[in-house]
Amino acid sequence: MRLTVFLGTGGVGKTSVAAATALKEAMSGRKCLVLTIDPARRLQTALRLEGGGPERVPLVTSSGGELWAEMLDVRATLTEAVQLHTKPDLAERILKHPIFESIANSLGGMQELMAIERIDQLMRRGFDNIVVDTAPSRHALEFLEKPEYFAQLAGSHWVKLVGRTYKFVEKTGMLSLGRKTVDVYARVEEILGANLVRQVLDFYSLFVGNAEGYSQRAEHTLKLLRDPAISDFRVVTTPQKALRDAQYFSRELQQRRFTLGAYYVNRVWETAPLPERTEGIARELLDWYGDIRESHLQAIASLQAFTASPVHLLPELVQDVGGLETLQPLAARLP
Amino acid sequence: MTAQSRIQIACGKGGVGKTTLALALGMRHAAAGRKVVVVTSHPLPELAVSVSLEGLAQRSPTAARNLFVVHLDPRALLAEVVEANFPVPILARAVLQSDIYKNLVEVAPGLKEFYFLARLQLLAERKSKQNLPDYEILLWDAPATGHFLSTLRAARDFEAYLTGPLAGAGADMKRFFSNAENVAVLPITTLEEMAMEETLDLCRSMRSEFNLRASSVLLNLVSPLAGASPERAEEARRAAESSSDPALHFAVERGVTERERAESIRKSLDAPVIPVPRTRRGSSDVELLERIGSFLEGVWG
Repeated sequence: MRLTVFLGTGGVGKTSVAAATALKEAMSGRKCLVLTIDPARRLQTALRLEGGGPERVPLVTSSGGELWAEMLDVRATLTEAVQLHTKPDLAERILKHPIFESIANSLGGMQELMAIERIDQLMRRGFDNIVVDTAPSRHALEFLEKPEYFAQLAGSHWVKLVGRTYKFVEKTGMLSLGRKTVDVYARVEEILGANLVRQVLDFYSLFVGNAEGYSQRAEHTLKLLRDPAISDFRVVTTPQKALRDAQYFSRELQQRRFTLGAYYVNRVWETAPLPERTEGIARELLDWYGDIRESHLQAIASLQAFTASPVHLLPELVQDVGGLETLQPLAARLP
Repeated sequence: MTAQSRIQIACGKGGVGKTTLALALGMRHAAAGRKVVVVTSHPLPELAVSVSLEGLAQRSPTAARNLFVVHLDPRALLAEVVEANFPVPILARAVLQSDIYKNLVEVAPGLKEFYFLARLQLLAERKSKQNLPDYEILLWDAPATGHFLSTLRAARDFEAYLTGPLAGAGADMKRFFSNAENVAVLPITTLEEMAMEETLDLCRSMRSEFNLRASSVLLNLVSPLAGASPERAEEARRAAESSSDPALHFAVERGVTERERAESIRKSLDAPVIPVPRTRRGSSDVELLERIGSFLEGVWG
């Protein structure tokens, strides 16, 4: 089993490269799944997916490989996790809680957590390779940090204590808690709004059992993601952003002890204009093209000077990546 | 009424050039003598801005005097709120460092977003002692579509949790941000299919949920053909037909597709479209921004 994680800032074509990588794996006989965490649902466009759980992409291969694709559904993953790991009556209280609603709908919070949960769920389904297309924003690496936040929250002594006792505390005038605890808690409530704090705490006091199980599973997944024999991280970038992205992601990955597998510089203008004599608008267009191509070549050279990791170049395609057929030329160019 | 709008929001899909165009537009406003603040809000400031304003003071002293760029980190903003509420720094620190605070801030839906928008409003409305606005224009270099919409929605829904004086502030903020006289939306897109779809979706949501319309749409990184006259486009098509140069074919094919797409955007959004051609980086970023700015004339025209 292999896990391949694609990272990159927004708009570099990460989803296409991830999908093409999965396609290439499938073509060479493996059972491969591509999971996208993208809220813009770009994989949906690329693979013409209808949504829901993992779906097999219709693909004829002589090698017997299979291509599967899934868009991360935060609500469904969270609901599945609650139902699987909680007693039915408690599960119902959790699923109907107003905070559950806002959490399932929030992009910033649960998405990254549920990606990790979903990788765990999917790893049990017999794929040879899972290709993960991370969130499109500059939040890419948060997806690796949130589990720790969440585990901390769930395990936090404060939340358990305050969450379970706040009603009691109200009645008794907060006498039963240590003075310092009460002070800080009261201040937090004052600033963030009592209503919000209590709703959140109430929710987590119900959810705490789930969260503990979750953080154990997340820890296991993170361990696999750190194992170079199983996982590697690949950075997708474009010529303009190549050096800046490489400096940033290589540092961040190293700090978190993840393996950087390769860089993919996407949308490179490759063809050199012919030394033909043209004039008028054709000349203008060719000058424009040549100018930008030249700047691409310079950017690639500085990336290669910066890194010892493999740098793969992918051409800009005139046609947008749409259906499976348009992923083929990209897949054919992958190493 | 773009020119009067206090907040202009540069929004769109990730990677379409929101930050660069926001800075170019800001520089242009500033060079024309308007006091401008460009607000970026990316969670990772080191990746937020890929162009530098080095050398602006030499090149355009007026622009340098009037242009301000600030990075607002929603987390840091909240910390400021906490600090402002505690006259005793040691208590503020105790709160900020407590697990319960850190974790609540991470998971509380809408909290950071609410304080972030409140700060934008404050910046846009702030006045000097002479009752002159500190900034005539605030350009918000917004996060990519998904996070941008979730910021607006989270702040809106957060109202439900507000009690006391904050509830009034929440309602006031809602009024401010859904008033087209205060806020102009400047969607930025490339003419790639996915970016276009996302832009159209975004504009639909902005209209139906927040009553805000695009004042003009900036088409970034397009070919010089995208904004050319029909005659020039036809000439280019003929030139490509009689040439075997793949680079020319690429450039023309792209330009022709872009022209069709620009027209369809203009029609579906009923807003002027402003093509900004892709150009190579010049001798300096400031020069690049000036060049880009020269295409943005129509934005407040």
